[in-house]
Amino acid sequence: MPAQPAMNQMKARYQNRIEILQGTLDLLILQTLQWGPQHGYGISQVIRFKSGERFDVETGSLYPALHRLERNGWIRSDWKTSENKQRVKQYRLTASGKKQLVNERSRWERLAVAIAGVLSPQE
Amino acid sequence: MRFPNWHHQDDELTEELRSHFAIAVQERMERGQSKAEAEAAVRREFGNELQVREATRQQWGWLWLEQLMQDLRYAGRLLVRTPMLTAVVVLTLALGIGANSAIFSIVYGVLLRPLPYPQADRVAMVFLHFSPQNAEFGTMSLADYFDWRSRNQSFEDPSIFTFGRFNLAGVPNPEQVSGASVTSGFFSTLRLKPLAGRFFAPGEDAPSSPHLAVLSEALWRRRFGSRKDVIGSATNINGEPATIIGVAPAQTHFPRAESELWTNLQLVPPTRRGPFFYRGIARLKASVALAQAQAEMNAIARQIEHANPGTYSQLIMPVVPLHDAIVGNVRRALLVIFGAVLFVLLIGLVNIASLLLGRATARQREMAMRVSLGATRSRLWRQLLTESLLLGVCGGAIGIGAAWAGVRLFRSWNPSGLPRLDAVRLDVPVVIFTMVVSLVSGVLFGTIPALQSSRPNLNAALNEGGRNMSAARGRRARNALVVAEIALSLVLLVGGGLLLRSYLRLSRVDAGFQAPADQVLSLRISRTETKAEKAAVGIAFFERALDRVQHLPGVMTAAIADGLPPDQQADSDTFVIEGQPWTQDRFPSTTLVSVSSDYFRTLGIPLLRGRTFTKADREDSPWTVIISESVAQRYFPGEDPLGHHMKMSSPTLSRIPYMEIIGIVGDVKYTALDSTSAPALYQPFTQNYDSRTWLVVHSSIPPATLTRSIEREIHNIDPEVIVNRVNTLEQLMSDSVEQPRFRALLVGAFAMIALTLAAIGIFGVMSYSVAQRTGEIGVRMALGARRIDVLRMIFREAIALALLGIFFGTIGALVATRSMTKLLFDISSTDPTTFLGVGLLLAIVALIASLVPAHRATRIDPMNALRCE
Repeated sequence: MPAQPAMNQMKARYQNRIEILQGTLDLLILQTLQWGPQHGYGISQVIRFKSGERFDVETGSLYPALHRLERNGWIRSDWKTSENKQRVKQYRLTASGKKQLVNERSRWERLAVAIAGVLSPQE
Repeated sequence: MRFPNWHHQDDELTEELRSHFAIAVQERMERGQSKAEAEAAVRREFGNELQVREATRQQWGWLWLEQLMQDLRYAGRLLVRTPMLTAVVVLTLALGIGANSAIFSIVYGVLLRPLPYPQADRVAMVFLHFSPQNAEFGTMSLADYFDWRSRNQSFEDPSIFTFGRFNLAGVPNPEQVSGASVTSGFFSTLRLKPLAGRFFAPGEDAPSSPHLAVLSEALWRRRFGSRKDVIGSATNINGEPATIIGVAPAQTHFPRAESELWTNLQLVPPTRRGPFFYRGIARLKASVALAQAQAEMNAIARQIEHANPGTYSQLIMPVVPLHDAIVGNVRRALLVIFGAVLFVLLIGLVNIASLLLGRATARQREMAMRVSLGATRSRLWRQLLTESLLLGVCGGAIGIGAAWAGVRLFRSWNPSGLPRLDAVRLDVPVVIFTMVVSLVSGVLFGTIPALQSSRPNLNAALNEGGRNMSAARGRRARNALVVAEIALSLVLLVGGGLLLRSYLRLSRVDAGFQAPADQVLSLRISRTETKAEKAAVGIAFFERALDRVQHLPGVMTAAIADGLPPDQQADSDTFVIEGQPWTQDRFPSTTLVSVSSDYFRTLGIPLLRGRTFTKADREDSPWTVIISESVAQRYFPGEDPLGHHMKMSSPTLSRIPYMEIIGIVGDVKYTALDSTSAPALYQPFTQNYDSRTWLVVHSSIPPATLTRSIEREIHNIDPEVIVNRVNTLEQLMSDSVEQPRFRALLVGAFAMIALTLAAIGIFGVMSYSVAQRTGEIGVRMALGARRIDVLRMIFREAIALALLGIFFGTIGALVATRSMTKLLFDISSTDPTTFLGVGLLLAIVALIASLVPAHRATRIDPMNALRCE
């Protein structure tokens, strides 16, 4: 059965995986785009790489998120033709997207501090 | 149907996902995987592309639109698949919305839209009501006005006016316009600002004031070319020089819609209480309520009555808000018509509900299926809502078109002489309101039963295919709806029937003349003469005119009379009989007609005793009078009236001579066909001359062909004489019953619509019932029931529904028609013939409507029916 090895391989990969916390995907995408324009696949690869292969952004979450962010005016998209003649849709951060990123970051940091406080051993 | 923008975005998404796929594959191939391996891996990673697309699309905020389109397409297909049902529902809606919007627009325009005068609700009219005249909104005399004005505390500036027709001189187009003579406060009471020039100033109603005139905007434009220099110029009105001082704004439709000229009254202090020509109009002072004003008027009326015991008894001076006074008796008729059209809408809604209910019950299976396939309740709601909305929008669109056309037709036709027609226009909020009502009820009835099946008990619905408990519930609901429909139709039919029978009786009333009405032509002849001119000049003119007309080919006889049957009363006055004690009660105001000698012959009014007037009855010969039969019976019981003497007005008025009674003629109606009595007095026109009168011509050829030559003969004698209002007597008769006819036709038409709708409803319910009972009927037939038994069974069901509806309808009609009593002539609002006839009609219609379903039932093949089961 050819499907068997694939399943095992997938399981192995999934063991290291962490669910992306609800509501943090937007932050991750915005952060990713801070380093420059990027297309959907590129964004998912960056997040995967930077999270040490722990975050696996599913297409089913990525594209709805991109389109939502674009509708909110935080990112902008345009079509480019890549070196190997592939037409790709690139996203870039807008001014209000940068502001949103700052907000999201500080929100996240406060959240992290709060959670760390709760989790730290009692004095 | 898709939106281009949306379509584009969809394509882009496809491309975006494709490029994502391509890049991912390429990367894997760069890492050494084969193309097939890479593609398979990426496809796995990618997941379900459709779901990705769906989830992304949702972010566009257009999903609802997409679903709406789906629903619309689906609803459209569904509606097209059942064309009969769709047509019936859409047309019913269109009819209901159209008729309601049109009628309500009229009701709103006439009854509810504010008058075009600032704070018009503070303006009231004042009337005079006393025995023996007993006119509900009677007119007052100058003396009454002076008494009112001097005692008044409640009103700002009491004014009076009297209707007038004004001859405007000019050859070749002398013209007669309608208008009013008013006191100086008239326009300021209405708070109107002149369009040009000025209105009457205080004191310009003094006895010595010059003749002044205010033009309507329309008259100014039509006759004077809207020239500013007309203001201050002299013109000739009714033979007197007058100065035009101003132009009233276009919205001035008072005292009549067609009023075009206002002149100033000259208030000469009266010597007696009469004639009663005037209506009061005044604005309430800021802090005074209408009730306070009425209380004060009551006190004033009591004082006037005490001071004039012989003239008035039970005197009151009703204070009526201006709007009520203008609308007057039209209110009741309009409300009845509006009630009728509401009933039509109600029946229409019931019908639609019943039809949709039937369909919804039939669709329970479909709904259950959808729920089991994962449709959410809100999604089903939305779909059903879309269907109802689609129906509603179609019906509404046609309905609004119909309403618009209806209002236009009504405005150009104005069959019942409505006041305030200028305020009638298609009322958009009304249209929207009616549409919403229709839609909401359609949605309620169309949706709820269908949704019942989305409740947990899916199995039952799916298994039994609708032949379950909720189907029985649906049938009961439909039966109830049909009963309601029949009941409502009965109320309408009884209303329409009563109005129709009342109208027919009215139109068959004998007006008192025997000449064929279509052979008698009547023309209004108005001479413009100065006050200085002697009556003899006018008499000579009319004698010459009569002589010329009488010699025209085709003319049998011709006469003049200042009053005509059935409702052209010119003058009425109290009178005195020599030798009989006089009180105003005993000699109430009676029609007085001035006629030429051939009048009775021309109209075919029978001479019962004595003689008619001859050419010998002249100004300077002894005064004569002819009385009508009812005058003879009332004042000379068992006595010969001939040779007795009488005079007009009251004993104290000594200027006028006594007249000898020389003849008795048959009664003729001069006030209206529905008036109960017809006392009348006739004088020779030479002895009671009037410069405005009717020329009546009895011809042997079609009277309309005579009009030209008559006009020519008259203008040959005097080109400034105004000839207008040309009609046959038949038209006058018909015009006088126009309002009752219009009411009867309109309500009758609504009743017929209601009957049709009810028939459709019965047909629908019976068809449905037969379809539901196919199995049962099959069993019965298998067990030996004959066709006639099946037929009887179905008919029995229909009749049971009809009888129930007739029962409730009769109760409803007994209550509803009570409000119509005042609109009925010579027929009781509980007329048993009408009620029985309508009941029978409905029963027959119910039978006819169930004929086809019953026939279908008898053709059920037992074998087939049982196999289906």
